[in-house]
Amino acid sequence: MDAQERLSKLASYIDRMPSLPPTVTKVLEICNDRATSPVDLNRVISLDPVLMARVLKLINSAYYGLPNKVVSMVRAIIMLGINTVKNLALSTAVMDTLNRKTDLGVLNPVGFWRHSLAVGVTTRLLAKMHGEELSTIDEYFVAGLLHDIGKIPMDRVLAKEYVEVIEYCREREVPLHVAEREFLGFDHADCGRLIVDTWRLPTTILDTVTYHHRPAEYRGANSAFVYAVHTANYFVNASGIGESGDNYPAALDESAREGLGVDQTKLSELANLVDGEVQKAENFLKVV
Amino acid sequence: MIRLRFWGVRGSIPTPGAHTVNTGGNTSCIELRYGEAEHLVIIDAGTGIRGLGELLLRDASETEVIRASLFLTHTHWDHIMGFPFFAPIYRKGTELDLYGPVTWEDESLKKVIGHQLNYQYFPVHSGELAATLRYHELREERVELADGMIVHTTYLNHPVLCLGYRFEYRGTSVVTAFDTEPFRNLFPTDPSQSGFDPEIAAEGERAAREENSRLLSFYRNADLLIHDAQYTREEHRRDRMGWGHSSFDDAIENGMASGARRMLLFHHDPERRDDDFEHILARCRNIASKRNMRVDIATEGLVIELPDAQ
Repeated sequence: MDAQERLSKLASYIDRMPSLPPTVTKVLEICNDRATSPVDLNRVISLDPVLMARVLKLINSAYYGLPNKVVSMVRAIIMLGINTVKNLALSTAVMDTLNRKTDLGVLNPVGFWRHSLAVGVTTRLLAKMHGEELSTIDEYFVAGLLHDIGKIPMDRVLAKEYVEVIEYCREREVPLHVAEREFLGFDHADCGRLIVDTWRLPTTILDTVTYHHRPAEYRGANSAFVYAVHTANYFVNASGIGESGDNYPAALDESAREGLGVDQTKLSELANLVDGEVQKAENFLKVV
Repeated sequence: MIRLRFWGVRGSIPTPGAHTVNTGGNTSCIELRYGEAEHLVIIDAGTGIRGLGELLLRDASETEVIRASLFLTHTHWDHIMGFPFFAPIYRKGTELDLYGPVTWEDESLKKVIGHQLNYQYFPVHSGELAATLRYHELREERVELADGMIVHTTYLNHPVLCLGYRFEYRGTSVVTAFDTEPFRNLFPTDPSQSGFDPEIAAEGERAAREENSRLLSFYRNADLLIHDAQYTREEHRRDRMGWGHSSFDDAIENGMASGARRMLLFHHDPERRDDDFEHILARCRNIASKRNMRVDIATEGLVIELPDAQ
């Protein structure tokens, strides 16, 4: 199978892509409740990259006449209504229970979920430190939460090859995206880009998914997003929060950190805050 | 000229009976004719469409082609349940273009409408229809019909994707705003409420405000605004918030704020009796008189003619 064949196999899986296992039980509990509050609905969706991407896909494809794409879950719930969002979340969660038997992924689902959430939380904190406007802070969180979304279909659809990719990383001590490129002909940023393109998600997400491992090459208008996600990803890997499958992550691109105006001391101070946020989410989801 | 005739004005479910004789009991269906050729547009296929179908068949000669563009606001039952009883679809020589929103599941319009023509619900299968049916799935966009009629669409606030339509012909505009409810912030804004978060509260306020102003700009300066007015304000606030319908007060406020010249209150609650309207209409007219906006209750059989502005 060549890279193109693998990518088309991934493309056909994308619309069946399930929620992440740690969130499923809570999604079912909250969405099966007739009196679900928008606060709980927002919270549970904001903790799951797949659900988040799916709701954004819906709202941005339906409302394509909008001048600016919608990135905020709060706005999506107000525009689409609680029931529509609830039904969508339920059907995505149910897909997971249907797919579970054939789930042969090598990535630890809880660890991967922790990693995604921690990068989302860190990206948000970095945006605040960088002095971004309050109204865009949530957009930074979403960009961080979704940065590795390309790994989900790769892990499920190309499960056997992905085991070899991860073993190769460990043996050669190379970053995951480098091993993916060598083994498969593309990396999770390419696969993520495929999802973002197919679902027509906003450009902040497109750019961070595509460039989170090579921020220096980025030339567009969303450099603050790309720098924040790159820095957050490095920080979360280095702090050992969750598991991204990347045991030998590439070094931090210092120009990205400097571009954000965040020094090393400030960065290391984030560890407790991020850990605390992830634990709060775990308590909410009852992750054991 | 645009001429409208109301074949169904009721919401939710048909309500025949002594108490609805004057207003009408059929569900949503409006006939809109425009231009010298009297091109036919139909808005919604509630039970009112049956009578329109009978009339079309009566007036057409055997060989005449019946052409119509049917715009469905959404696919809730009261807006599509008359479709299987729209007799022209069983006639060879009918050409029907169906326009409507797709659902969030991305189910095709053809599938949603076709579901009704399933032997469990109805004796005729969709494959047996003799007419030529063409389906056009709409999102927020602009559609051009024959003779320069332009139709703009926008999403309203309803529990399923639901489109408002703005028909513009020779400078005259007719806007439909049903089924819809004003957007509101669904998140706690009071710091003492559980789940309060200042960032979320502010984002929710902004989102609701911007969405409402998006709709007002869509309705702007309509020669005729046909607006959802299912509830009284008391009914709405009591236990019907989030059901996707407006109160009479919401409708009038939107009409005045958007500069409508004339408005019709539409999609009446099944519980609303003919006697109730006198008092409601007097109150609405009193409010609307401040802006010189004409207000009427939509009734079955009502005909409205709007001259060309250009």
